[in-house]
Amino acid sequence: MQEPAPRKKVNWMMRAAVALSVVLTVVITLAVVPKILGHYFWSIEQWYRVTPVQPIAFPHPSHVQVDGIDCLFCHRSVATDAMASIPPVQQCMFCHKLVKTDSPEIQKLAKYASDNVPVEWIRVHRVPDHVHFVHEAHITFFTRRDNVAPSQVCATCHGDVGSMQQVKQVRSLRMGDCVDCHRQNNAPTDCAVCHY
Amino acid sequence: MITPRIPHKWGMVVDIDRCTGCQACVIACQAENNIPINTEDRYIQRRAIEWIRIERYWEGVEEAVKTGDPSLVKARFIPVLCQHCENAPCEPVCPVYATYHNNEGMNVQVYNRCIGTRYCANNCPYQVRFFNFFQPVWPESLYNQLNPHVTVRTRGIMEKCTFCIQRLRKVERKEVKEQKRISDAEFDSASGMYGPACVRACPTDTLVFGDLNDPNGRVAKMAKDERGYQMFDRLGTEPNVIYLKKVDLHASESAHE
Repeated sequence: MQEPAPRKKVNWMMRAAVALSVVLTVVITLAVVPKILGHYFWSIEQWYRVTPVQPIAFPHPSHVQVDGIDCLFCHRSVATDAMASIPPVQQCMFCHKLVKTDSPEIQKLAKYASDNVPVEWIRVHRVPDHVHFVHEAHITFFTRRDNVAPSQVCATCHGDVGSMQQVKQVRSLRMGDCVDCHRQNNAPTDCAVCHY
Repeated sequence: MITPRIPHKWGMVVDIDRCTGCQACVIACQAENNIPINTEDRYIQRRAIEWIRIERYWEGVEEAVKTGDPSLVKARFIPVLCQHCENAPCEPVCPVYATYHNNEGMNVQVYNRCIGTRYCANNCPYQVRFFNFFQPVWPESLYNQLNPHVTVRTRGIMEKCTFCIQRLRKVERKEVKEQKRISDAEFDSASGMYGPACVRACPTDTLVFGDLNDPNGRVAKMAKDERGYQMFDRLGTEPNVIYLKKVDLHASESAHE
């Protein structure tokens, strides 16, 4: 009778290594696959900055829709300059010295005005420093093409800000976005138009 | 209606006869284009950045030594900036197309494309391309004086004279608005508002800027002057910067070597 083969000694370290590799494979697969799928179904909103909470809850609707104030009344240099400009506190106080002075948000504003410091608004739309976007050129172009007032052009890129309680970005404003629009409108696509 | 953009070919005329070597253009350029502060050790390392520089030459030194008359020594000043060559040696060597020729006759450097190989600077016969070997830093109080219309270049990319493209873009916007070509008087150092910083700073009208496509323009006329020459024209780079030779009634012999 043949002697049964001696029981193979199992190296416990080998077992542990196999078990660990199985666990790791499962964990990595679970972690990576959704990530890859997430990239595949990448949502365009992820390119945008998070809608910031501003130091003063400035409601565009009550100014634009209710009171019917033109965009250019506050963003004064938008049709003449590169920057749209945010109005100084003094310009807000022009009306709010009398209007709605009992509101806590306006009292915050009045404090900025009496302390003589600017409101530190958090910027929503921003392109990188090596990109030079000039509001003036775009407003000139669209007002002439469509024969409309300058304040009706803003929504092309900024969306309907008049109905936004908190201002948020609605277009990706990446280079592809700019170049697409430039091609459609026969605008120059030379690099040095924006990058200088 | 929409106006088509007016085709420009920007060019500059440098009248060496007028240059006094005062360096106002160098300082103006430094201020306008956010050029980092050059310290002495940067110059010693040959890493200083000057988009426009004044080259100084001494003439008649040998005669002065021979005759013992120091009044024979003459200083010659030549402002050197990017020549915006039509056939630029810097362009074909760039592996990433960060420098190219645009349709306005300008040699353009695209900062965000540049990867800093420095091939272009090696191939430039005029030594007017500068590499940012360091992250530019200014004293804290000077950060607010940076020009917002010009990119601050970071470490590792090439830069050079742009003909103050930010001001030219302003000109083009004005042209589109008013639907007419802007005359060269607008670039004049005395009366104009839009010329490059060096041109506007020049107290002797040495530097004249304008559109070479405008046949009635001042620059197009001056470029045809019989004193005109292009720097290193035998290299065939066809610069858009045209120099006017110095008129010297008592030229020393060594000047003709």
